[in-house]
Amino acid sequence: MFAHWGLALLGAIVLGGFVSGCRRARPPMEPAVAIRAGWEQFRLGEFGQARKNFETAAAAAPQGSPEHLAALYGLATTWNLQRPGEDPAQAERLYRELIARDATNDLAAWSWLALARMKSLPVAGETPPLEPQVQAYQEALERFPFHPAGEEAFLCQQAARLDQPDETRTREALNALKTFLRTHPQSPWRSAAYALAGHCCAILGLKEERLEAALQAWKTAETDPADPSQDLSWIYWQIATLAEFEVGDFDMAREYYRKLIAEYPTEQRVFLAKQELKRMDELEAQIREEEP
Amino acid sequence: MSARHPTAGARRPLDAALGFVRRHFALLFVLAVFLWSALAILLYRQAGMPPGAKIQLRIAHWQLEGGVRQAFDRMAEEYRKLHPEVAIVQDAIPEGVYGTWLTTQLMGGTASDMIEIGLGVPYNVQLGYLSRYFLPLTPYVNAPNPYNRGTPLAGLPWRKTYKDGMRNSYVEELQQYLTVPLAQFGIRIFYNRDLLRRLTGLDEAPREYRAFLRACETIRAQRDENGRPYTPIASSAYHAGMWDGFMCQPLTYGAVRRVDFNRDGAVGNDELYVGFKTGRIGFDFGPYQARFRMLRQLTAQFQTGFTGLGRDEAVFLFAQQRAVFISTGTWDAGSLLEQARGVFDVGIMDFPAPAADDPEFGAFMEGPVYERPAAGFRFGIARSCKHPEAALDFLRFLGSQRGNQELNAIIGWIPAIEGASVSPLVRAFEPHLEGVFGAMPVDSLGGETSIRWQQLFALFQVNQIDYERMVAQYEPFYLERGAEELAEAIRNRRRSVARDEQFLAGVRELAMSASGAEAASRWIKYRQLTTGRLLARHLGTALLKKRLDEGRAANAVGPYEFSPDVIARVRERIRAQRKERP
Repeated sequence: MFAHWGLALLGAIVLGGFVSGCRRARPPMEPAVAIRAGWEQFRLGEFGQARKNFETAAAAAPQGSPEHLAALYGLATTWNLQRPGEDPAQAERLYRELIARDATNDLAAWSWLALARMKSLPVAGETPPLEPQVQAYQEALERFPFHPAGEEAFLCQQAARLDQPDETRTREALNALKTFLRTHPQSPWRSAAYALAGHCCAILGLKEERLEAALQAWKTAETDPADPSQDLSWIYWQIATLAEFEVGDFDMAREYYRKLIAEYPTEQRVFLAKQELKRMDELEAQIREEEP
Repeated sequence: MSARHPTAGARRPLDAALGFVRRHFALLFVLAVFLWSALAILLYRQAGMPPGAKIQLRIAHWQLEGGVRQAFDRMAEEYRKLHPEVAIVQDAIPEGVYGTWLTTQLMGGTASDMIEIGLGVPYNVQLGYLSRYFLPLTPYVNAPNPYNRGTPLAGLPWRKTYKDGMRNSYVEELQQYLTVPLAQFGIRIFYNRDLLRRLTGLDEAPREYRAFLRACETIRAQRDENGRPYTPIASSAYHAGMWDGFMCQPLTYGAVRRVDFNRDGAVGNDELYVGFKTGRIGFDFGPYQARFRMLRQLTAQFQTGFTGLGRDEAVFLFAQQRAVFISTGTWDAGSLLEQARGVFDVGIMDFPAPAADDPEFGAFMEGPVYERPAAGFRFGIARSCKHPEAALDFLRFLGSQRGNQELNAIIGWIPAIEGASVSPLVRAFEPHLEGVFGAMPVDSLGGETSIRWQQLFALFQVNQIDYERMVAQYEPFYLERGAEELAEAIRNRRRSVARDEQFLAGVRELAMSASGAEAASRWIKYRQLTTGRLLARHLGTALLKKRLDEGRAANAVGPYEFSPDVIARVRERIRAQRKERP
């Protein structure tokens, strides 16, 4: 009798386990919801789940609709950037499919940039050949010269040139950056462009221009009031040291060292900054003594 | 018809039951253990609930040192006076199992509500945990802490009430503040005041290096009643780095002026290698030699075989009054004082520094030692927390000026909040916010040179080889192997580009899907990150490589030296000024 009850009890437990383990049928996910979930999973590094979400969205959204394009873009980006398990061929196919469906779409611009960036990804830590990178960025920026993706492609192109610097390439990059700054007065990338121009000047030994570029990079830098982590101490330090050691403009050096000391009193470079203020005073005093 | 025993009917169900138990013993045992565990967990969780409490919050940490648990209990009590409905229970987990415990609890969905972060799992895993299992706190740290009402910090964003601006709580990879720090830490020297007085006649330990060494020599020359010599400094493999870091490495600060090629205010291991390779700096550099001379003088005051000893052995030597000095962090201060209570008087002092006119080291010691103000003892709120608003409120209470002061006063640590008064005991631990720092990262370029350095440095520490022999064996190896290790380090940096692109793709999508002010903010963030991580990332490396390819430049102008051209310009300007204003 007990044996029967016992077995019945065990059976009930096992059955309960089975039933509770069964997955309930879920209603199909809306494409927009699936895309959002896909990116959430992408950011968490759950790439398999991200792909499933994007595939669900791509299947559910009407062909060529904004949701469909967004799903294709998400899927392509996941195949492109997931590690391990990336599939560049699949990613490229999807980016090109998106571009073919709507060549003027915002996401088409970002897809062109992504296709170019794929050419820049180092293989086994080695820099890929420069020319294919330059050409790929050129394709993106010619199609979207005033789109954020096109502007980013332009800057990536110059950074690629400066990654393997020689004088000719550096001059090319500097001229291109100067043209960009002239033709894109409203671009939010101006600060980055000035920073790259400053780097060109460092390579070419153009001291005054380098300092001017650093100053402009600071003046055009975007500040986000909502971002609490903004730190300008490095920029102050850079301008001050360039003014002191490259150009000999001690007044400017003093101004920026003092800004650093006042605004970032616990920064590691404060002690060095105070030492430099003293050294400049000493050098000037010494020269005054020497001068008749 | 068979005759039946009168009791047979009653025995049959019993036999059947026993038979069932015998047949299914293993299964029943598992079931019983499961039920017992479930009941035990339920009762354990209920036991922490005082009468009247409706919300129970659990706080987990690994600080088993004296004072921490008492401090949390006390603060929980204080908090209950304000919020009778909330009860706080601690989960104090030993360090050794913290990582495993954390992982299983988070994955099982049974984690404590507030969890200390920073131990037990590698950083990349920690990042994953923070993003999956912890609540972002950015909006809250940007808002004032209500518990600061009535103090000078009222109305300030919470993060700005921290001495370090909550710098360590911001996780750049996730673009969020995720933890609330509750204390600062520091390292100083403890000394046995009674023993020092008895052996040297000094009431206070000398702060000047030479006087300190003299006191050590005096201590070393004396013996106890059993004829055993005293040890001036109790040290171990754990403690030796503190003496090196606070006294010897700062002597190398001058290397910044020679090889900080990118002028970021610090010497990187790649910069130092290029400096060595191009002849701009070497082991014959005065400050580098000075570091090792001082280290030799200090290790001579440690007990024999200190490199083979652990932390506890050094503490034991000190507690047994066989040694006068020991270096220690604030985290150990409470325990050490507890051991000394009623036995001997303990003094706390800063690390001794050479005087400016010290013939050997004075020229190289350019200032006090810089200590970055960084708050630790950081707590996050688990996503599984059923009452996140209550957990946040408790952390606000602990992270307020008054709360933080009280918490740290009980533990004996340094408060993390501005204006919170420091107990006299730990006043000596307050960080120096201005000063010099080490600039000799000769041991971290790559795997092989690092191991070689560790081997030779260990022999130097125990006086088996002198500086000259150490350098003779290491320098050629460093110069030769370093080239490949530098190239590999550069390749490793490039390998991480894919990871950066992945991160930026996620940030870009957040910007694309946002609207209004939030979109503007996110796009700015995206551009800043893209500039730093993709556009400018390899530029410095390219310049450094160029410098390396250019070969030896032993007499080149250093990055912080005035070139003849700069001096001429300054001279020109001064002349022009004189002409204008004679």
